[in-house]
Amino acid sequence: MGTVIRFKNVGFRYGDNPWELRDISFRVRERELLGILGANGSGKTTLLKLGSGLLRHKAGEILLKGRPLSSYSRMELSREIAMVPQETHFHFAFTVMEVVLMGRFPYLGKFQFEGKRDMEIAREALRATGSLDLANRSIHELSGGERQRVVIARALAQEPSLMLLDEPTAFLDLKFKKEIFELIASLVHSRGISVLVVSHDIDLTAKYCSRIGMLKDGEMVFIGDPKEVITSEGVEYVYECPVVVDENPVTGAPRVSVV
Amino acid sequence: MEIKPLSGPLTLTRVVAISAVLGIALIASIAVSLVSGTATISFTDLFNIFKNSPQVSETTRLIVLKIRLPRIFLAGLSGFTLSLGGLVFQAILRNPLADPFVLGVSSGAAFGAVIGIVMGFSFSLGLPILSFSGAVITIYLVLSISRREMGVESSTAILAGVIVNAFFTAVIMFFIATSSEDRLHSMLFWLYGDLSQSRISYSMVIAPVAGLGSVVLYSFAKHLNLMAAGEENALHLGVNVERTRFVCFVTVSLMVGLTVSFSGLIGFVGLIVPHLARMLFGSDNRLIMPVSAMGGAVFLIAADTAARTIMSPNELPVGVITAFLGAPFFIYLLKTRGSRWAR
Repeated sequence: MGTVIRFKNVGFRYGDNPWELRDISFRVRERELLGILGANGSGKTTLLKLGSGLLRHKAGEILLKGRPLSSYSRMELSREIAMVPQETHFHFAFTVMEVVLMGRFPYLGKFQFEGKRDMEIAREALRATGSLDLANRSIHELSGGERQRVVIARALAQEPSLMLLDEPTAFLDLKFKKEIFELIASLVHSRGISVLVVSHDIDLTAKYCSRIGMLKDGEMVFIGDPKEVITSEGVEYVYECPVVVDENPVTGAPRVSVV
Repeated sequence: MEIKPLSGPLTLTRVVAISAVLGIALIASIAVSLVSGTATISFTDLFNIFKNSPQVSETTRLIVLKIRLPRIFLAGLSGFTLSLGGLVFQAILRNPLADPFVLGVSSGAAFGAVIGIVMGFSFSLGLPILSFSGAVITIYLVLSISRREMGVESSTAILAGVIVNAFFTAVIMFFIATSSEDRLHSMLFWLYGDLSQSRISYSMVIAPVAGLGSVVLYSFAKHLNLMAAGEENALHLGVNVERTRFVCFVTVSLMVGLTVSFSGLIGFVGLIVPHLARMLFGSDNRLIMPVSAMGGAVFLIAADTAARTIMSPNELPVGVITAFLGAPFFIYLLKTRGSRWAR
């Protein structure tokens, strides 16, 4: 399987802040759902910002489909990479359909309006995220879970090869958390998109991701199969909190409990 | 405020159709304004004047063509640029309380103009250049005050605008207090937003700038839509945020600076009109840009017609009318929507 994005010995720091991201190397393969775990301040969000081109790395190399990330223009990049933040606030009352059509921006000329094909893509994205019935609602009327699905639909409308999600379930309750992870996993299977998701939900990440990377103090300390990475020693080391890891009796995925 | 559910996606046809309806409303408002006033003039007179028929008295012709028409054109163009400017500021700062007046751009421009009067410039190129510079300096000040690591902070920008506004108003007051009798009148002219001294040549200067400026701004309509969810969001969708912000601010400053140099401080137009446009037509800037611009023209023509007729034969500065409507509206927005947008 090919590689979509590859970090090679990437380093970064904010100005002269002593905190730094050090020597990060990993790749996201095609049709892979890669999860990144780590305590607060371990560098998860910074890692995503480097991957999305929002921040420029200071050392090493980031390759998107074999080409240096820095050689892509903003427009090119937004056709390859879509970003789903923790939460998205819309300051004006756009309708859901209008929001999803915004994902078509990188494909349209300056004065060009969305055409039939763009409409079809947007509708398809809404269908895939189970939010087609919301199409004519105002984005302000939606619940947090619904809005997150719409933002994922907008990301799909960008037709990206890589989707980055920054704690997409942080503000959602259990049912929506599961729903969002299930949605992401299904998109990887049905659409062949690669996904890099940063999360605080160890159990859900362990259940849905094919591989997991763990960050501690700006370094990638483990990366691999969930069962190899999610061990009581590993989680205790990364989160500095005593835990027991056993097996979920239903799914067989690793289960973490605080002791 | 409820937004109307869109019957379908926005199309060029829809934009053109709605703009055409507003175009008709604009022509109607010009016609009504032309026949309103102290001197009685009928629609038949109007018709005859534009047909160049000899049935109209020379006085009537003069009143319509030399007094009312220049004033109406200036009112229309001022409403056009101020509303469009307000809409664009609101989109960039993601705050519906932003408008050229609130952000201090108008008073910055007036400051430039007053400096011009003190230095003895008359209505030539000098004043517009000075008031444009005033507008640009203000925008630069407001932006540098509110600039943060990840872009411009919108609530800080509004506060910075209020403060810069107060400062320039104080400077203007200083010059008024210390100026000679004859210059005093010209200065008060700006402060009240008075259109009574209009000449057709003013509109000839503003019109091409407003036309060109609105094309430039329209080319960023989609970019501004995307910025509604924040600058980072827009960046991820492929928007060059820095460039969008820069070009839009400079274009609006140019348009507003020029307008203010001729028509003075007319407040709140850029607040009321875009808000009404959003209430009626949703948030897509590709539609509400033309709606705000043309609606602003209609609104200010109507306001100025009221200004010169309600106390006839006495006239009020149009700024009095817009502030009278605008201040309560601003409070209403703060009360109902303020917290929601205050970020």
